[in-house]
Amino acid sequence: MYPEKLQNIIDLFDHLPEVERRETLVAYSDSAPKQEPRGGERFDLEDVRKDEECADTVGVYLQVDDEGRAHLRMTLGPEVQTLTRAMTSILCKGLDGATPQEILDLPSDFVTRIVGAELVRVRSQTTYYVLTRIKGVCKVYLDRQRRAVA
Amino acid sequence: MNTNPTEYAHPEALVDAAWLEQHLDDKDIRIVESNEDILLYDTGHIPGAVHIDWRADLQDPVIRDYITPDKFAELCSRNGITPETTCIFYGDKANWWACYALWAFRLFGHRNVKILNGGRDKWKADGRKLTREVPQNAHTTYPIPVRRMDKEIRAFADEALAQSQANKPLIDVRSPGEYKGEITHMAEYPQEGVLRGGHIPGAKSVPWKTATNDDGTFKSAAELGKIYLENAGVKPDVDTIVYCRIGERSSHTWYVLTYLLGLGNVRNYDGSWTEWGNKVAAPIERSS
Repeated sequence: MYPEKLQNIIDLFDHLPEVERRETLVAYSDSAPKQEPRGGERFDLEDVRKDEECADTVGVYLQVDDEGRAHLRMTLGPEVQTLTRAMTSILCKGLDGATPQEILDLPSDFVTRIVGAELVRVRSQTTYYVLTRIKGVCKVYLDRQRRAVA
Repeated sequence: MNTNPTEYAHPEALVDAAWLEQHLDDKDIRIVESNEDILLYDTGHIPGAVHIDWRADLQDPVIRDYITPDKFAELCSRNGITPETTCIFYGDKANWWACYALWAFRLFGHRNVKILNGGRDKWKADGRKLTREVPQNAHTTYPIPVRRMDKEIRAFADEALAQSQANKPLIDVRSPGEYKGEITHMAEYPQEGVLRGGHIPGAKSVPWKTATNDDGTFKSAAELGKIYLENAGVKPDVDTIVYCRIGERSSHTWYVLTYLLGLGNVRNYDGSWTEWGNKVAAPIERSS
């Protein structure tokens, strides 16, 4: 149902007690800078903007390889909240290698299993924001592909 | 303008980072971090600080209200707080949520409360130590408060209405766009289902951040006096009600008026605009 890498992350969080869930989210948040674009990388799409839904600028960079698999990089402004940083790492790692269409079709119910119902309840907008942005980039990419074929 | 803390009405309600750094191990204080960013404490906090979440710890999970006195006693007990403990609050967003937590502690009658001037951001910007070590404080037995101080420091909708009708000071601390009715929530924040925009008739607009410097510290007593007493119509001998969207930003202004300017009759209308803007037949004023 989910891409394999994402499924592994979901399985990890599924069994974590609350304290360890928070610690693991913070660990993912710590690794968010590793998701930034690296020198020499080229992207099919770049979407860098500041939305009302987020405290600072978020950039999404999509590269689709010759096999049609997506690779994501992201940049986060300094004011971006910890939970958003954590979701950035989780989704960049978990969705790496999925196709843009698979990402676009991804149901969002896994977010609760990762973040936990309580954090989703109090920070619903934050928890879904990164996924929405990534899906947005994939949709633009697919629309362009379809137009190019037509 | 240089800030001299001794010019505040209650300088004892404010500590600076240098002082706190020298008193981290004091037995009679408890440092309390309270943030908007729900995981920020976990990423690093002032050594010895405990975390109190404004929603999970201070609000009733079902009814829109604060926790009961027995829950407050439990909260304090598990954080090693006694009625004599001096709680020093700090947090992100220039102490928004820290002031909210402080106000909630006062609601339950906890007397010894202070704010770390500049909050978390200034502490971090100054290069002071943060740790991920969660303190293990011995449990205490905090007595259940006999009552909440709703009457003294909290206002309800009918009291805000009476304040408006009596032309007494009402301070709207939201952003100018919210005050004017152009938007019903802050930019960058979720729409929380408010049906009408505007402000309570007669309320003056003084965005909460007017009280702070760029580094999150409070402005001087003279500057604050000019903002609230000279320009916003707040009077020491007339009671004042402050409000925002859910009572968090207005807690910051409540702290400023109560502790830094020394007004003894300020109440926080925590129902604020998420209640007023949905309330059937509540009078609303809009301005351009």
